[in-house]
Amino acid sequence: MEGMFGNLAIGFAEVFKLQAVTVAGIAMTLPFNILMCLIGCLLGTLIGVLPGIGPVATIAMLLPVTFNLSPIAALIMLAGIYYGAQYGGSTTAILVNLPGESSSVVTCLDGYQMARRGRAGPALATAAIGSFFAGTVATLVVAMFAPPLAEVALKFGPAEYFSLMVLGLVAAVVLAHGSLIKAIAMVILGLLLGLVGTDVNSGVLRFAFGLSELADGIGFVTVAMGMFGICEIIANLEQKEKREVFTSKVGKLMPGKEDFKRMVAPILRGTVLGSCLGILPGGGALLASFGAYTLEKKVSKYSHEFGKGAIEGVAAPESANNAGAQTSFIPLLTLGIPSNAVMALMIGAMMIQGIAPGPQVMTERPQLFWGMIASMWVGNLMLVILNLPLIGMWIKLLTVPYRYLYPSILLFMAIGVFSISNQPFDCFLMACFGLLGYVCVKLGCEPAPMILGFILGPLMEENLRRAMLLSRGDPWVFVSPSKPISMGFLIAAVALLVIIALPALRKKRQEVFVEET
Amino acid sequence: MAIKIKSQQDWWAGWMFIAFGVFFIVVAMGTPEFINKIFGGAKLIPGYQLGSSVRMGPAYFPVVLGGMLAVLGLLVLFDSIVEEGPKVAKFHFRPLLFIAVSSLAFAYLLKPLGLALASVILVFISAYGGHEFKIKEVAIMSVVLVIFSVLVFVKGLSLPFPVCPSFIEICPIR
Amino acid sequence: MRRLLAFAVLTALAGAAWPQAWPSKPLRLVVPYAAGGPIDISARLLASRLQEPLGQPVVVENRPGAGGNIGVDLIAKGPADGYALVMSAIATLAINPSLYPSLPYDPLKDLRHVTLLVQVPNVLIVANDVPATSVRELIELARARPGKLDFGSGSTGSTGHLAGEMFKMMTGTYMVHIPYKGSAPALADLMAGRVQLMFDNLASALPSVKSEKVRALAVTTQTRSGFLPQLPTLEESGLKGFDMTTWWGVSAAAKTPQPVVDRLSAEILKAMDAPDFRERLRAMGSEPPAIRTPDQFAAFVAAELKTYTELVKRSGAKAD
Repeated sequence: MEGMFGNLAIGFAEVFKLQAVTVAGIAMTLPFNILMCLIGCLLGTLIGVLPGIGPVATIAMLLPVTFNLSPIAALIMLAGIYYGAQYGGSTTAILVNLPGESSSVVTCLDGYQMARRGRAGPALATAAIGSFFAGTVATLVVAMFAPPLAEVALKFGPAEYFSLMVLGLVAAVVLAHGSLIKAIAMVILGLLLGLVGTDVNSGVLRFAFGLSELADGIGFVTVAMGMFGICEIIANLEQKEKREVFTSKVGKLMPGKEDFKRMVAPILRGTVLGSCLGILPGGGALLASFGAYTLEKKVSKYSHEFGKGAIEGVAAPESANNAGAQTSFIPLLTLGIPSNAVMALMIGAMMIQGIAPGPQVMTERPQLFWGMIASMWVGNLMLVILNLPLIGMWIKLLTVPYRYLYPSILLFMAIGVFSISNQPFDCFLMACFGLLGYVCVKLGCEPAPMILGFILGPLMEENLRRAMLLSRGDPWVFVSPSKPISMGFLIAAVALLVIIALPALRKKRQEVFVEET
Repeated sequence: MAIKIKSQQDWWAGWMFIAFGVFFIVVAMGTPEFINKIFGGAKLIPGYQLGSSVRMGPAYFPVVLGGMLAVLGLLVLFDSIVEEGPKVAKFHFRPLLFIAVSSLAFAYLLKPLGLALASVILVFISAYGGHEFKIKEVAIMSVVLVIFSVLVFVKGLSLPFPVCPSFIEICPIR
Repeated sequence: MRRLLAFAVLTALAGAAWPQAWPSKPLRLVVPYAAGGPIDISARLLASRLQEPLGQPVVVENRPGAGGNIGVDLIAKGPADGYALVMSAIATLAINPSLYPSLPYDPLKDLRHVTLLVQVPNVLIVANDVPATSVRELIELARARPGKLDFGSGSTGSTGHLAGEMFKMMTGTYMVHIPYKGSAPALADLMAGRVQLMFDNLASALPSVKSEKVRALAVTTQTRSGFLPQLPTLEESGLKGFDMTTWWGVSAAAKTPQPVVDRLSAEILKAMDAPDFRERLRAMGSEPPAIRTPDQFAAFVAAELKTYTELVKRSGAKAD
């Protein structure tokens, strides 16, 4: 224990240390690393708020800048961009129903509804508070349990991942508040759309009809902007009376006492779920955020409010995704394995600096390792200090008449989507998904389960086929006693499906009884 | 015997799912032989390898999922005849058209016309699709947005967008 | 008035017609992979170095897809004015032509190869629980358990995949290929023992080898690596003629004017020779390549293409 505090002390010393730098020709002593953290957080928040532009593109663009910085300063700044983008992405999810990151999709569901009812302030505050708490706890988790957690992560093979994703998709069905069958169908539709592109296992280009633009699949941003953004704008514009989208009766900026009471448990549950699932490379943080939502919906006594602006529906996923963002550093820092595209860039940045990412970083470069961990907490602190006062500004923004808001949103969306590969095709796809989303909403089918299926589909297939390859075609590998984790997830998935289906079945039976009497 | 559709939403939703399911199955497996023969023998849509459950080919997962989707579509169709459900609300084509056209115009005109003009076009077209359209307001809004976008996206984030149209050789902003 | 108009028109025409010295506008360096990989990073490094000597920014653009073919085709079919470059690699130039049933470009005819940037050896690594401490023991193990060993790779058609196929052919063994999306997940499964061996490029394997999460048996080049000098080469271990590296460099469209190609080549080589740039490339496991001029590079590409066409055909590997 003392060892850990000693290490954290090294880390904080590194983060706060004063360095002699020359800025614009003037030599001065600054706490340079803190400054880098601040710049990273600011930049991250900005790109998180701008729809369509994400941390991957920004970090990639800034890599040359980091060449001239010391390794710790470079990594601190890049990490700041990463979770700054998480905070910023939650902001757009709540304000305009646009998920900045894939793990903010779930926040759109209740966060946006809260904003429409004049509760944007409490929603944003809940997101910030929940994220900060989760970030703090997760940082401690990383500090204390990084190596053993990494070992756990290694135990997850393709079979375990597949089963986890099956569980996740069943949970996705819970997201919908309408018809169960249609929700499952939307999930499957999402899975299918996610398969467009190059198949990992065979290299074949699927469902692309010769269009080279589809060779890498349809991007998440394109689908999200289309189904959440464009669809929402069209839906708002088609109201016959000129009604303002956001009630002009702007509520309080801060959550009330009742709100605070309600957000405590979801934040705790979300943090635990996020910390656990974030360590899994490839989709951990995303699964955590909507797993947390599902859990809350099933457990909360306000579950009827979910989908209409329940504060738990913001608190839980936000805590989960921020905890997941912190713990996703674990595979990077301990094993040198990236959990997502941003981590892969960090590895690149480290390698350029001459640092080989891997287990020896902890022992050979303790200042770097512990400095990074300390900076994670400092970054979270900076972000919560930054974001809380900004809430007032965001709320003012929402009072702008919708006829000014929506062209601006549309322009930023178009710019963001275009910048994915500098081609008009992605905007064309966005418009197509906008149309699809519009049709689906008219037909009573919800986009949220579809988009989750879309993200998880290719991962599921990849892991299914790999598990079958490794087991030489034995389908029982998923429930074999030698793989308790996989079996556990599948059992949980079946149990969850039963829990979901039971009320619906009971209702049908009651209806039949009523008709018969 | 006419079937009474009790839930219009479910009716159309069911058909949509069936259509998607069949589409994915057909593309993945390829058109069956008898259709190919009608079109002169050549494979109209070549499929992907199905493989076996041991060694799944690229077509396996899509076909299974497509099948599940089609079956669910049938279930939803069944539901639409049996259970009461809401009607499909009216489609409003005007906002749909204007929003879609404005984003497409922006995307395809960005490289030839530059960010400034393309943004103005997007703002005007999308504003026209709304309830109110006052030219002065829209014009001011577009100027503000162009300035903001150039500062933030081109200067700030160094996105490689041309600001001026391609027929103007020397651009004041780059 | 008319004279003013005529003057204005003439100036405009002159401005359009007068050939401006290259480069007079920003260059475009296409990376045909997603951001963050080693090729992408070395491209960004190079781009930031070329800005000063060329006087124009070099903008890196990611265009992933089809194993890199999309991005390369874009440049091959694009204007040959010297403003569009692409990071071409062993995959897109030497392997994909025979791996994919049809390729939209010809790697020798449609492209002008400017400079080879990086050459990295691959390492044969095995999981710690595999009972083999040398290549010989591994071959015996593979022969004793045909079809039981799995080898991972970063993607179908990558050098890791083909190195494995070459190994199988030369040793007469049968192992199952397990493709992953990138070498990182493959390495993770190797560490966990779910796959038994892998041919990974030196930079990404080195940390795991040094920390003993996996065991290295040999390198795939003809000469030993300076980073792991105690490792024998595969040739030394009995596989005569085994020589595989992962390499990448910069290419342009075929008809790019010779003076432009020469200037580009000179500037890139100058950047590469700078000591800190060399250090950064070395951190990726690359020693400065012996091949320097565009003609040497082109000859190298032709030779590699021949080798891998042969290998892919004999091993039966294909992207289908």
